[in-house]
Amino acid sequence: MIVLNDIHKHYGRVRANDGISLTLEPGRIYALVGENGAGKSTLMRILAGHTRPTSGQLTLNGETLSHLTPALAREKGVGMLYQDPLDFPAMPVWENFQLGAPKRSKREVVDIIGELSYRLDACFLPDEPVSSLTVGERQLLELLRLLDLGATTLILDEPTTGITPEQKQDLFDLLMKLAREEGHTIVLVTHKLSEAFEMADSIFIMRQGALVGTLTPPYDEKELVSLMFGEAADGEVEPLPELPADAGKPRLAMHDVLFAGPKYSMGGLNFTARPGECIGLAGLDGSGQELFLRGLCGLDRMPGGSFDLDGVNHASNNFAGLRKAGVQFVPADRLALALFPGLNLMEHITLAFPDRHGDLTEFYHSQCVDKFNLQAHPDTHAVELSGGNQQRLLLSLIPDETKLLLMEHPTRGLDAGSARQVWNHLKRRCAEGATLIFFSPDLEEVLEHSHRVIVFYDRAMAAVVEGEDISMEVVGALMAGKRYDELKEAEA
Amino acid sequence: MDTFALTIAAILMAGAPLVLATLGETLTEKAGIVNLSLDGSILLAAMAAFACSAIFDSPWLGMLAGAAVGAAIAGVLGVIGIYLGQSQLAVGFILTLLSRDLAYFLGHNFSRQPGPDLGLWTIPGMGDVPFVGLIFGARSPVVYMSLMAIVFCWWWMFRTEGGMRLRAVGESPRAAFGRGIRVRLVRLYYCLAGGALVGLAGGAYSLAVKPGWGRPQGCEGAGWIALAIVIFGGWHPVRTALGAFFFAALQVSGIHLQEIFPSIPAPVFQVAPFPMMILTLLAVNMGRMGWIQDIIRRHPFLKSLSKGWSIEAPAALGQDFNPKKGL
Amino acid sequence: MNRESLLTQTGWLILALLLALALTVIVALPTGAPPFETIYVLFQGSLSSWSKVGRVLAGWVPLTLCSAGLLIPFTARLWNIGVEGQVIMGAIFCTAALRPFDDGGSAGVIALALAASAAGGAFWALLAGLLRVFGRVHEIFSGLGLNFVALGVTLWLIFGPWKRPGVASMSGTEPLDISLWLPRLANMSVSWVGLALAVAALALVYILLHRTKWGLKLRAVGENPKAATLFSLGPRRRLLQAFMFCGGLAGLAGAVQVLGVYHRLLPNISSGYGYTALLVSMMASFRLSLVPFICLFFAILNVGSIQLPLQLGLDSSLSGVIQGIMVLSLFIVQGLRLWLKQRKEAD
Repeated sequence: MIVLNDIHKHYGRVRANDGISLTLEPGRIYALVGENGAGKSTLMRILAGHTRPTSGQLTLNGETLSHLTPALAREKGVGMLYQDPLDFPAMPVWENFQLGAPKRSKREVVDIIGELSYRLDACFLPDEPVSSLTVGERQLLELLRLLDLGATTLILDEPTTGITPEQKQDLFDLLMKLAREEGHTIVLVTHKLSEAFEMADSIFIMRQGALVGTLTPPYDEKELVSLMFGEAADGEVEPLPELPADAGKPRLAMHDVLFAGPKYSMGGLNFTARPGECIGLAGLDGSGQELFLRGLCGLDRMPGGSFDLDGVNHASNNFAGLRKAGVQFVPADRLALALFPGLNLMEHITLAFPDRHGDLTEFYHSQCVDKFNLQAHPDTHAVELSGGNQQRLLLSLIPDETKLLLMEHPTRGLDAGSARQVWNHLKRRCAEGATLIFFSPDLEEVLEHSHRVIVFYDRAMAAVVEGEDISMEVVGALMAGKRYDELKEAEA
Repeated sequence: MDTFALTIAAILMAGAPLVLATLGETLTEKAGIVNLSLDGSILLAAMAAFACSAIFDSPWLGMLAGAAVGAAIAGVLGVIGIYLGQSQLAVGFILTLLSRDLAYFLGHNFSRQPGPDLGLWTIPGMGDVPFVGLIFGARSPVVYMSLMAIVFCWWWMFRTEGGMRLRAVGESPRAAFGRGIRVRLVRLYYCLAGGALVGLAGGAYSLAVKPGWGRPQGCEGAGWIALAIVIFGGWHPVRTALGAFFFAALQVSGIHLQEIFPSIPAPVFQVAPFPMMILTLLAVNMGRMGWIQDIIRRHPFLKSLSKGWSIEAPAALGQDFNPKKGL
Repeated sequence: MNRESLLTQTGWLILALLLALALTVIVALPTGAPPFETIYVLFQGSLSSWSKVGRVLAGWVPLTLCSAGLLIPFTARLWNIGVEGQVIMGAIFCTAALRPFDDGGSAGVIALALAASAAGGAFWALLAGLLRVFGRVHEIFSGLGLNFVALGVTLWLIFGPWKRPGVASMSGTEPLDISLWLPRLANMSVSWVGLALAVAALALVYILLHRTKWGLKLRAVGENPKAATLFSLGPRRRLLQAFMFCGGLAGLAGAVQVLGVYHRLLPNISSGYGYTALLVSMMASFRLSLVPFICLFFAILNVGSIQLPLQLGLDSSLSGVIQGIMVLSLFIVQGLRLWLKQRKEAD
């Protein structure tokens, strides 16, 4: 049994964990839910020994400690599986498995991997580098490794992002087995309520660093939502704007385009988009959607084919030229790719709007504060902003006249309130005539906000779905490699 | 045939210190640390090795002194860079200038003085064997040292648990920390180990390859070449050692070419290694250039060639890691 | 890059200085150098007479030109290690421009030589920049490689096409006609032209970095080159501009050496000023206001150390040792502060 007693974790003035106490019993599956920034990952990292609490105690198997280290946690049987598995991509599978474990020969390790894989119906080639595995396979390997080390308490941090619905089902079946048959303790950290309902014997709800409730079945969704979001639970998301019946001139028409990125290339792309459309891209990591976006804005090369933007043909995708023509790209990793950490907000505005001269203070107010509710002093450096404010800043830097907006994961790391604001803003832009093409690893987000969905599989456009086909079952199957025509036949 | 054997012997000799320095830096960089102080370290270690050897009349004690000096300089870089969070490149660069000036300053009294060197090792009976005998009949011990170092480094890196941890720390210090590995300590350890090998290279210069000390000593610039070879050789002990012998071969052939073409001015041969260094680095990056990738795509059979050509740096090379901050 | 107040930074600098003093004494012990006498000789050798002060100023000029120039690539997070070679190239281009004027020339010719030297330094820096931007060769390697190549070119010229009639020697090329010497300040060995150039460089760098949009855009490129691409700032173009600007100033430093100090091309024309300038910039934590003072101090050390072999039998590299220890001490002190701060936060 594990007891967390009055755990505090402070980063300066920020209270990531504010006096949390809870108990975990063996053989049960717990869900730890809360929106982005609630403090769930921090708490679990303390339990796994990857961070030290500012104060508080942990009691494991009768022993009370003030903190854990990775080695101690392993001794106590606690293992944590991160959303992006903490492994060594360049090193082979068997070395990834062996690192951190007691000394064994390569042959022994290979045997153990083989046996575990057989039991769980998986297949790992010991000498292949881990970088060649999919995210789901890397997760499974990590899980096997933790089990091999004797983990009896397993913490999974947002495990279902980036895997197919099929893989998710396999994972959940495995977790059930481990809890019911082997008596392990499972903690599922997630912001998706449906998963919590499906799996958990008991749900812990966190909000703004505190534990605000513990629920047992039968679960009341309303109660859960109000505990999770507080008053912010009530907020309307605007519906998708209606598309005019007459298509008019297409915004984007791609003719047999070939994009080439640093790791792979993708060809034979033909697609047309209308003004005002919201187009979602779905697919596993590395299936081609990132290259699609980066190629369209000119960050990756286009050695073949061409595309028309509002009727003007572009045979070469020159970034500066496309930007002038109204194409804007917004990456997911804001601080690392899209903002200047050490520059302040005023300087960002100056750089983003080079045609404006003189004192830009008024413009800053009208653009950032009024339009986007960015409540921060213009002297604040970008690195000091919260995630939500960073996204607001980014959006405020996009000119109004943008015709084609390409976004990688618009709501990454945002709390529900900010995410809602972002989507309302994007839909307004579409209503005013802009075309949005976006990608999100969160399949629900893609399904909810798209007129049409392009599904990518194995570095190619597998299918373009619309209307009723925009559903978890269809898109999920296409993401996993099922052929669209076979699916339609099976339906009929 | 005899000249060929003698040329190989010359390459082995000229390459020995370069191999040692390159292997040392390979270990350090594989753990994720860049030691820019190489050039200065080699000089200071060379001076210390010669001085020690002259004072105590023992070249082997000199070699030990050289290794100690190399490790010490790397240790300073390690502590300031790893534990005090300062820029590895900046501190390494300061150390290279400082070590060089220290070498000239402290070595002032040993300049152009005579002193013992390591001599030659003869393998009994080997001298009569044709061809091989010319190469290994009577060779400086540093040649054998360098060859043994290649084997040892390769074995350590790829066949031991310790080597696995070395590679893990350079690939992903966060994941290594999560596995219970003491990342900063491992990095410091390989900084010191690599520095010791670099120090041995310095000793190899002043006690075998270019015996003596002076200003200039003659091994100036070797450290920078070694840094480039580590990249060129893809951070792999055997490949980098081959790279070192390649440069040594260039050096040796340069001497021959100078005799054949006396009209080409001497400075051309002296500086030739440096444009070569730039060219090799360019070649290494070529695989990533867009137009090259287009050609490969149109001719798929080139793909296997490009796979062997491309190299991957240790992912966390030069990056800071502080376990206090947690994951 | 430091955002602390100037006062705090100066305070820590002084602490680093004291640490450096202690380390220097320790390091010099094996040579049997008497510490206080050594320091005395160093300062006496550079400040005891007007002519010596003149030589200090003559050393201050190229050092300041290079250090001020280095701030530009450092703003873009570039390591312009090739500055040494750019000084040499500037000197070579300057000498080349003056070759047709054996019998001397007017101020216009001097101006031409200065322009040529800036162009030469900028060209050499552009090579390193192109290798970095298009060949992805780290500027440390391209800079260093080009440094050695520049040295090789100098040697070839001095012993080859430009050798003195009759004897090719390490003392360099044929001396310039006196009309091509830079005019002196009073009867000190420093030229007022050089001083003016150095001061102008400081002003120019300040204006460029802090008062123009070009400076803001360069800072942005240094902060985040990927984001700079997204903002259409043309990072590659700006990186090359940064290299070239620094190279131009370094080239001028080379010209000052040729026209004002040695009056001919020597093998050691750059005197290590490029590398020393890198130390100065690091020590100033890239703060322009500290640069001229640190340059002055370093110049004092350089000139003073010339006396060491004569008076104490010590190698003149001691000045380099002291300079290196000073910068290292600063980094140690900075690191200790960081370490203490983290320990405080963790508790």
